[in-house]
Amino acid sequence: MLAAHLDPLVSSVFSLMAIASLVLAFVMLGSRWLNNYLYAFAAESWMIATLSAAVGYYGGYPELYLIAILTALFRGLFLPYLVWRIIRRLNVAREIHEILQPSSALVVGAFCVIFALAVSYKVGSSLGLAGTVAVLALTVMLSMKLIGFLMLAVRHEALSQILGLLVLENGIFLGAQILVPGMPLFIEIVILFDLLIVVACFGVLVQYLVAHVGSTSSLELKRLVG
Amino acid sequence: MLRATLLQIGQVLTVLLLAPLLQGAIVQFEERVQQAQGPGLLQPYRDLWKLFHKQIVIPDTASWIYWAAPFVAFTAMLTVPILIPVLTDFPLPLSDMGDILGGGLILTLGSFMIVLAGLDSGSAYGGIGSSRAVMLGILAEPALIVVFVGITLLAKSMLPFVVNHLLVAEPAVYWSPAHLFLITAFFALLLAETDRLPIHSSTHIEVYMIEEARILEYSGPLLALLKWASMMKQFILYVIFSNVLLLPWGLSRKGEALDVLGSVAALAVKFLIVALAVVFAETAQSRLRFYRYQELLAASFVFGVLAIIGTQLS
Repeated sequence: MLAAHLDPLVSSVFSLMAIASLVLAFVMLGSRWLNNYLYAFAAESWMIATLSAAVGYYGGYPELYLIAILTALFRGLFLPYLVWRIIRRLNVAREIHEILQPSSALVVGAFCVIFALAVSYKVGSSLGLAGTVAVLALTVMLSMKLIGFLMLAVRHEALSQILGLLVLENGIFLGAQILVPGMPLFIEIVILFDLLIVVACFGVLVQYLVAHVGSTSSLELKRLVG
Repeated sequence: MLRATLLQIGQVLTVLLLAPLLQGAIVQFEERVQQAQGPGLLQPYRDLWKLFHKQIVIPDTASWIYWAAPFVAFTAMLTVPILIPVLTDFPLPLSDMGDILGGGLILTLGSFMIVLAGLDSGSAYGGIGSSRAVMLGILAEPALIVVFVGITLLAKSMLPFVVNHLLVAEPAVYWSPAHLFLITAFFALLLAETDRLPIHSSTHIEVYMIEEARILEYSGPLLALLKWASMMKQFILYVIFSNVLLLPWGLSRKGEALDVLGSVAALAVKFLIVALAVVFAETAQSRLRFYRYQELLAASFVFGVLAIIGTQLS
């Protein structure tokens, strides 16, 4: 495994980038404005693209450069552009009724990170990886997934839910880059196109919400229809 | 031994005498950034001089707490410099009285007495100020404790001198994510604890008054002591931030006269850097509403937790 035997400097660069993307996930969790989520998401995607290029360079996986370019273009530019178009059409600038205040959400997120650390410690020590960057990658991956779930749970604007889903996916992608950098190229490309479909579907769903419910808040979806 | 004792006295005197200069410098820079003339670097000294020559007026309702608070606050701020590396990077006599937590306790003791004094006189403003200060304390303390835990885990010790030595000796630790997050978390706390924006509490506008409301009943020399104590608190927090966390270099190694003068000069440079960062933060941000104070401190808490995670992985 690449992560187990790395130069200390390289592994600290990796950990800095991984933690920076975790911080950006926290920025998304702590802000109220939809535009700020979007910028943070784009920055996070660029960070992950840089990370995969770095893994490709230091690990000797040339195909990761392609992945990095695709990630930067798709996740860093195209997906944010699509979501931005939806936001512009909708006239919704921010979450209006918060289920959980941003500051409380930050603290809950911090506890999610602690939980993720505990889990990945167990996993890492049972695999004999304790003290390597792999544990950090696992922690960041798990905590970004938990933060994504948290965003899905405590936000009810349809757009924040799309972004929550994308953060969740970004987390998995980031973990995969460090833990299994040699993952076949096609799987990665398939995942990228899956994401496109997810965003497109959400776009249609949002249109449906606006047309039938008159708002994009999932709180309005109270009636069960069959 | 004699030299060490003299150095220790020197540390306390540095904090005592240079604290108003730091306050004056920050205020002056801020005015300059806003293209105003500014009151001058030495204005806090002139203010203190003026207050020390005024008469004391005491409310009828005041008890002994009203008298004790300024002295306790001032003495507490004179005690903390003994525990931390102000001029030298080696422990001086009596610096083993307390570790980081002990220093934090003494810093809080002064503020606790001022809270009591605010309540003591029975005026409405004092009560408001004290309750707000306690609210802010409740929000800031968990973040502070998390930062302390992070520092402890990073250096495997609770002594500021050990942290300083570790950061000077090992650049890898200095540039590790854990340490960078500790710096971020402590900077947010520094803004909150030294009354800077986004929580600027030392204004005279009633809606925002925190620090000023607690000491509204004081006048003359007692007020001067309280103001001086709060400037010293700011100086001490800057010392901890720059000498222990941000810029651990430039402290006197041997404790000779020239060395110590050099470390005073280094301290001035470091404080200039930190003060410019603070001035930038104050200029770039607007004041938070009272009910949004927790956002800054929650962010600081999160960075503290991330730092702890970082220490577990290095």
